[in-house]
Amino acid sequence: MNAGKLDLPKTVGVWNRPDSSRHINSKNIFQYMNGAGELYLGYRFRHLEVFDYTSPDQGNILVELYFMENADDAFGLLSLDWGGEPVSFGGTPAATSNQFFTASTRALYGGGLMRLWSDDIYARIMAERETPTSKDAVFALGKAIAANTQQPPEPALVKILPLEIDAVWKLRVDRLSFFRSHLVLNSIYYLSHENILDFDLLTEAVSAPYEHISNSGDPKRSQFLLVQYENPERARQALNRFHDAYLPEYKKIITADTDADNQSLLKLEDGWLAYKLLGKYIAIVFECPDPESAKVILKKNESNLLKKGEGS
Amino acid sequence: MKDKKPVLTRRDFIRGTIGVTLGASILGLPWPSGGAKAAGSSLVTIVRDKKAMDSAKNIDITVLEKMLTETLTKVTGQKNTKDAWLSLVKPNDVIGLVPTDHLNPTHDEVVHVVKNSLMDSGIPEDRIRDAQGPRNAKKCDALIAIPGLKAHWLTGIGTVLKNYIMYSGSPSRYHQSNSAKLGEIWNLPFVKGKTKLVLVDSLYPLCDKGPQPDPRYLWNYNGFIAGTDPVAVETVCLKIITEKRKTIRGEPWPLSPPPICVEAADKVYGLGTSRIEQIQIKHYGWEEELLL
Repeated sequence: MNAGKLDLPKTVGVWNRPDSSRHINSKNIFQYMNGAGELYLGYRFRHLEVFDYTSPDQGNILVELYFMENADDAFGLLSLDWGGEPVSFGGTPAATSNQFFTASTRALYGGGLMRLWSDDIYARIMAERETPTSKDAVFALGKAIAANTQQPPEPALVKILPLEIDAVWKLRVDRLSFFRSHLVLNSIYYLSHENILDFDLLTEAVSAPYEHISNSGDPKRSQFLLVQYENPERARQALNRFHDAYLPEYKKIITADTDADNQSLLKLEDGWLAYKLLGKYIAIVFECPDPESAKVILKKNESNLLKKGEGS
Repeated sequence: MKDKKPVLTRRDFIRGTIGVTLGASILGLPWPSGGAKAAGSSLVTIVRDKKAMDSAKNIDITVLEKMLTETLTKVTGQKNTKDAWLSLVKPNDVIGLVPTDHLNPTHDEVVHVVKNSLMDSGIPEDRIRDAQGPRNAKKCDALIAIPGLKAHWLTGIGTVLKNYIMYSGSPSRYHQSNSAKLGEIWNLPFVKGKTKLVLVDSLYPLCDKGPQPDPRYLWNYNGFIAGTDPVAVETVCLKIITEKRKTIRGEPWPLSPPPICVEAADKVYGLGTSRIEQIQIKHYGWEEELLL
């Protein structure tokens, strides 16, 4: 897909754009956005097209179209923040917070900014001044970007995470993120400034908290992380590195035997941690209140992985 | 195992062992001796005025001028602006103003008001310059840091300590695993000891990490946060951002990554105090949603 096929309107309300866009690639992205470029390079970024819509007296609207390697990468960028008002451009209503939330949410709006995922494009459309008129223009531009594009499903890895572990542990779908970089992981859940899980652009990862609602109303949260590597050997190496860096004082138990109850289970400063190597996957759960919770969260995710024919 | 050097992790942050694990300087600087602390007070002032900026982001310069006067006199204990400035800088100093130029940049009006205030206090215009940029601090005798208040997706907070990143000559080296080491830049020979005042533009802060500004996380705080201890000022900024995030979500919403650079600036680089209980916070003016 390219910007020409998108057919962005020359004029939206009182806003007009120039004939051509600014073209940003991986070589000049830091000139355009400083350190923010690390975010996009942490996904499989192809290029960025920037359109400036100007108006005589109502501020500008900035349109940024990030062309990614595929739809998973574009989804990943949207998944970093599910906040805002879900927006629908078609006949179906916008998603609310339910089990299909991440699959059906394609655009979110708030404060003058629309973020959207459309096929392999992640877009940011931002009005300098939020007014009813500028909101209409932002929505019109969003609709133009989403028009005539594919609506691929969310990444397969996302669907492995069970929505419920049992009667009390529920997945916080609205905090679920898909990524390929340790920098992005750190912005969701900090582990280390070093790349201790050997992330690269061939890895895929999903992370979200499981929440335990007790009668006291004080929720407990455990962070779950599932990483898929290119092959089982890469996964084994990464898990070794993780253990050496994160758990240097603990004995290592890493095997590829998925039938045995062979996860590592450790009590750390912030709760119980469990991890397991599952073929080309690594599953880790952090900050569990007790060892039973850590085991059951890991086990349920492992079962889902096996059901989908993976993890062996 | 080939590489046995300690790796800084979440566990160090929880245990408070950052100083043990941080590793060598990027710039080849020696670490300060244990317990070294910047001279000066850990007083941090917050001066706010509801009329400083309206909801359409129009700034009232007259209100800013009053806020700056109050800030200067409260931080220094002097009776007027001129005496306040002259207690911080010498009349013949070359003074560098160091605003932030990206991601929620310092408002031009704030820089303008500071510059005019210095000139009104007898500092010649040709001795006041923009010192943001790789080598600009070298030509200055005194620096006034004027960052914008903001969270940052690589460092947790990106306000005071990160404001000097260009002085390193290699800002990208601090983007990833070395972002905890931002404090060492303040100990470069041409930077160390020159910062006479940290004045944070908190008119319209950004409380989420970005990396690009999202208007949902910008709000009118309409304040100046100031002091002479950069780490204490950063710590108070951090408190305000943390409280705002909690207000937005209705539950704790910790910054991620955590602001390790702030603790390291205290415990490793000796730039000031990051312990909130050791900071004297005084606030003046508009009280609503003070977030302290």
